[in-house]
Amino acid sequence: MTASGRTSVLLLRLAAPLQSWGDRSTFNRRETRPEPTKSGVVGLLAAAAGRSRHAALDDLAGLALGIRIDQPGSLLRDYHTVSDHRGQPLLSAAVSARGLQKPTSPAKHTHITQRFYLQDAVFLAAVEGPAELITTLEHAVRHPAFPLALGRRSCVPAQPLLLGQRTGPLQDALRAEPWQASPSVRKRWGRQNGNATRIDLPATLDDPAGDDIRDDVPLSFAPTRRTYTTRRTSHTYLSAPTGLTPDPTRPPSTGGHDPFALLGW
Amino acid sequence: MPYLSRIRINPLRAESRTLLAGPRALHAAVQGGIPGLPAEERTLWRLDADNPHRPHLFVLTTDKPDWTHLVEQAGWPDADGEHYAVRDYTPLLQQLATGRNFAFRLTANPVQNTSRPDKPTPRQQQRIEAGERRSFRLGHRTAAAQLNWFLTRTDRWGFDIPTAPHLDDTHDTDGEPPRDVRITTRQRRAFGKGSLSTKEAQVVMNAVTFEGRLRITDPALLTERLLNGIGPSKAYGCGLLTLAPLPERA
Repeated sequence: MTASGRTSVLLLRLAAPLQSWGDRSTFNRRETRPEPTKSGVVGLLAAAAGRSRHAALDDLAGLALGIRIDQPGSLLRDYHTVSDHRGQPLLSAAVSARGLQKPTSPAKHTHITQRFYLQDAVFLAAVEGPAELITTLEHAVRHPAFPLALGRRSCVPAQPLLLGQRTGPLQDALRAEPWQASPSVRKRWGRQNGNATRIDLPATLDDPAGDDIRDDVPLSFAPTRRTYTTRRTSHTYLSAPTGLTPDPTRPPSTGGHDPFALLGW
Repeated sequence: MPYLSRIRINPLRAESRTLLAGPRALHAAVQGGIPGLPAEERTLWRLDADNPHRPHLFVLTTDKPDWTHLVEQAGWPDADGEHYAVRDYTPLLQQLATGRNFAFRLTANPVQNTSRPDKPTPRQQQRIEAGERRSFRLGHRTAAAQLNWFLTRTDRWGFDIPTAPHLDDTHDTDGEPPRDVRITTRQRRAFGKGSLSTKEAQVVMNAVTFEGRLRITDPALLTERLLNGIGPSKAYGCGLLTLAPLPERA
């Protein structure tokens, strides 16, 4: 990664009643990706570190990111109408000679906007980089300079957000970390799967040889010139410990019915 | 000597999409793994998608099969773990004895044959008027009829379904205690067969998955059904009855 070569992994548990991770939304329809974006995670770290919107991001954007989906959550559509409380028409994009926005003509009084959120989702984000930088970031997330949010300002993270620092490769850190789903989800899954000790969770990893391309690496968060570039990712499944105690009377099964259990092995 | 195989399918691959979408394609892929001539042996298969992200294909073959082509096209060719498992089926057949209980799963196509349908289609009417003696095969379409089809035939297949111990205090509409069987999935599938566009070339089937507990009454009959399958549409993923150890009830 760097000249010193010593890398470290920071684990963040991204869980909240609502999260929203947009990567291409503009205007009135604000969508969310099914999993956190790199710009969202980098933005969270930059906010924690107290960087201004104009500050350089090269070091943060250069960190390797891996996201494990512990609980996919469900999609929520929030239907909004926006209008001026004084009853005046909304402003158009056109600008007058004085540099002020002109009112819409014909007058338009209401915008309809849709914002999409993930509700009840839990993700495990692993950020890998030089050990010194990761230690600084860990301290920053513990003592954030600005309020932290999961993708959008209104989406406040649930505790615990920081799971700590790990050594070793990012993928191993994601594999070793126990399943972070909520107790009720784990209990229901355990009932159906005989409290198996491990579960396969989908994960997206930064991978220069990967097949997928995501356009969510921030170059600048400056309000007037926000720019992003692309990264390559690969999608895989990682086996993680569930933290459940297996039931000795129930055989570990493939969904309840395993014909191979009677064939002598 | 029969063999049971289990093949894991990667649902994210283009080829797997074709296989998972059409029983015809999957039938062809399964037949491709068997070296013998297709007509000479009965191949039974079933797709178990308990976890839709990790479907498993079970195949029962007479000769030892090879599933390398399925792994290459629809699996994880370079991944860790067991791509497919092939095991001799005889240890199971030797365990069959009258009175033993097993958990079972069966995907079948429940049908009835009748020469006088209640509402004949124009084509059926045409055949009746032409004096054709052969009766028509009609699928059972309601869950009640499908379950009834299963329960009335179990004696012929060498087993019966005991009453469900955890439903002791309940009874079904006939006032009898409910049996330990349930329908987990019901799927109506319709697809073209061959390049013909006529109605004849259309296959319509109801794939119903039954799950529960069975008690063996006649091991010889059951062995016959295990190896040769139950009901029609055996080429399209129906008819494979599999046995498993009974799960402990909490």
